[in-house]
Amino acid sequence: MTAVAHAPSFVSEETTITSWVLTTDHKRIGVLYLCTLLFLLALGGAFAMAIRLEQLGPGEDIMSAHTYSRMFTLHGVTMVWLFLIPSIPSAFGNFLLPIMIGAKDVAFPRLNLASYWVFVAGASMVLASMLVGGIDTGWTFYEPYSASSPTAVPLALLGVFVVGFSTIMTGLNFIVTVHTLRAPGLGWMRMPLFVWSIYATSIIQVLATPVLGMVLVLVSLDHAFSFGIFDPARGGDPLLYQHLFWFYSHPAVYIMVLPAMGVVSEVIPTFSRKNPFSYKAIAYSSLGIAFVGFLTWGHHMFVAGMSRFDAGAFGILSMLVAVFSAIKMFNWIFTMKRGAIDPKTPLLHVFGFLFLFFFGGMTGVAVASTSLDVHWHDTAFVVAHFHFVMVGGTLTAFLAALHYWFPKMTGRLYPERLGKLGALLVFLGFLGTFVPQFLLGNAGMPRRYATYPEQFTTLQRLSTYGSWVLGGGMLLIACYLAWALVRGPRCGPNPWHSRSFEWRTPSPPPKENFVGEPDFSVENYDYTREL
Amino acid sequence: MTQRTHAARLGMWVFLASEVLLFTVLFTVYADARARYPEVFHHEIHAHADKVLGSVNTAILLVSSTLVAAGVHALKENQRSRATALVFATVVLGLCFLGIKGHEYIDHVHHDIVPGHGIFWTLYFTMTGLHALHVCAGVVTLSLVARTKHVIVLENAALYWHLVDVIWIFLWPLFYLA
Amino acid sequence: MSRSILLTGVGLIALWALSFGLSFADLGHAGLPVALAIAVVKATLVGAIFMELASASASIRFSVLAAGALAALLIGLVVADIEMRDPPPLVPPGYDAAAR
Repeated sequence: MTAVAHAPSFVSEETTITSWVLTTDHKRIGVLYLCTLLFLLALGGAFAMAIRLEQLGPGEDIMSAHTYSRMFTLHGVTMVWLFLIPSIPSAFGNFLLPIMIGAKDVAFPRLNLASYWVFVAGASMVLASMLVGGIDTGWTFYEPYSASSPTAVPLALLGVFVVGFSTIMTGLNFIVTVHTLRAPGLGWMRMPLFVWSIYATSIIQVLATPVLGMVLVLVSLDHAFSFGIFDPARGGDPLLYQHLFWFYSHPAVYIMVLPAMGVVSEVIPTFSRKNPFSYKAIAYSSLGIAFVGFLTWGHHMFVAGMSRFDAGAFGILSMLVAVFSAIKMFNWIFTMKRGAIDPKTPLLHVFGFLFLFFFGGMTGVAVASTSLDVHWHDTAFVVAHFHFVMVGGTLTAFLAALHYWFPKMTGRLYPERLGKLGALLVFLGFLGTFVPQFLLGNAGMPRRYATYPEQFTTLQRLSTYGSWVLGGGMLLIACYLAWALVRGPRCGPNPWHSRSFEWRTPSPPPKENFVGEPDFSVENYDYTREL
Repeated sequence: MTQRTHAARLGMWVFLASEVLLFTVLFTVYADARARYPEVFHHEIHAHADKVLGSVNTAILLVSSTLVAAGVHALKENQRSRATALVFATVVLGLCFLGIKGHEYIDHVHHDIVPGHGIFWTLYFTMTGLHALHVCAGVVTLSLVARTKHVIVLENAALYWHLVDVIWIFLWPLFYLA
Repeated sequence: MSRSILLTGVGLIALWALSFGLSFADLGHAGLPVALAIAVVKATLVGAIFMELASASASIRFSVLAAGALAALLIGLVVADIEMRDPPPLVPPGYDAAAR
């Protein structure tokens, strides 16, 4: 039985604004990130709603094609860099990582604080670019258009560069924390699986993000000072831009999905009351995904003019990633088998994850086949694929994490029935939005087009109605979580009766994370013993 | 070795790894361009690069790396004033490097060679310019920590300086020799 | 000054002189590879002795290895792309496929 806390929680121990703005407490930094990220998620969602509204009709109905270009660009930039990439690591990683390894804080607390304000600075630059009309290059900023577009390209790109810098700082902090601050006796193979996924994510962040940063600087130099680095007339190679961009942006999708998989690996054992089928397989496959993720970037460039040698190499390498994801899927399913399933909201979101990520992943293998991609490249099929993995994968896991760790962070419970309704609405709304996109893309609907032929109208309308259900579900979740923040019923330290380490301290935790020394004598995930 | 020293050293190396990837982008652009226009690169290097100045600068950085390594060693042996002197000598050499680089840039501009005039010179200014920014950062950092008594602090600053040296070790042949 | 630091410094200057001298000889296509090879030796000396990689922990050495491997991967596959691209089907004015 863990000691009853008499120490004040990390929220109540000091309540001035300065104590939040200048905090070095990883829990407060996690909360700051979470609030900022939720705002940016809403902003990205607003752009999405605008896109779907325009697509209700085949013509340029509520906006011109020029404006439509800005809408999908800003939707992509906001969702990818301002929400998805930082989401689980910066909010939940920050809050939980030190607790999960029995540490008082991360290795470099002041660097952690700096990473938050650097993130805010970068996000502000991107928001500022929106105030002066945004950009219209697509979130991929391909040259040569990004060097000549009459929009605020340098401001937006340098904003993303600054945000990238923040993620490098966070990744560095997490790597050093896991290496050096584990509690005495806590070996690598006893850590929670969420820590493994954050660790693997951090490796990718530190190695891949600088590549993005530099290439965005080069495009900004091209745009602002006509450097012509990718201009063929001056000896540049526009295809090289794509190599450099995707060298980061493919591993980036694993930055997005690995933490999501870490959440799934925590939620399933808790709500199955069973230890993971194979701890080692999940831990090592996280590293495997991080490694192989670096080898596959060319599959975004099959029709761009790359050599056939490279196309062949990347096609084969891309198949390897699915192996590690499949290992995890099998593990999760077998963990649940013969478990005592408790279908609370976090697990319902995880069920959604398993279904949607499975189909997203399979369609990923499909588009990674060079010959098939020739038909699907730049159609709505690809758009559907990546929304299945990013929304159906990362966002769903983010929602699972939000519900799972809500009691940990606030000491209160959210309303369970509304939680289940929210999960259902998000799942059904998502399917309604994006299944039509697979069909549209396969029928030839290009991506990023504001207008379309009459015969696609029905499917486009269905997609828009689906987006209203999805948006409604997200709104419902936002409302009841806000309510629960102030009026939710208080719960004890471990309402889920989980065996994972973060539940062995009060909810919300005190500033020092643990009352006395952390008690890890009962193993992680060991449901055969009482705590 | 204490936990905090190990953490600081590991953190510095992780940062250096990220810096390597940052510069890798530029080396990739160079490799791509040179593979497509080998004769242009060869010609520009032999017609307009000042091999003597570039080579003097290389020697300056190699010596400065030696001195700062000696400075760290002296601090480990508790010879604090010797360490400080060696670090300041490194700073002076760094400033000499920047001076020569600046002279080269001005000379190029007088010959109408500026960034934007073809991929070779754009790369030259971008790569040596980014490198020079790092030299500035190194000069400032070393000046600030020259008098520290903590070995790990000086070690980490010296690591940064060595990385800056290694990058130049590769920039020199690419832009001056061949 | 420690002996190994002094010797390494001398070695670096010797390699510098070698590289400088060779740059005046006409090595043709071998000029750049030779110069880069000498650069690799110098960088290894700085890394192993000055940066103390020779005695560093496994995690530190792994960071260096990972960064180097990724750099090689990116540069390698990009150059492979350049070398093995098909020539364009429509010939732009002034473009000489044979000379390229």
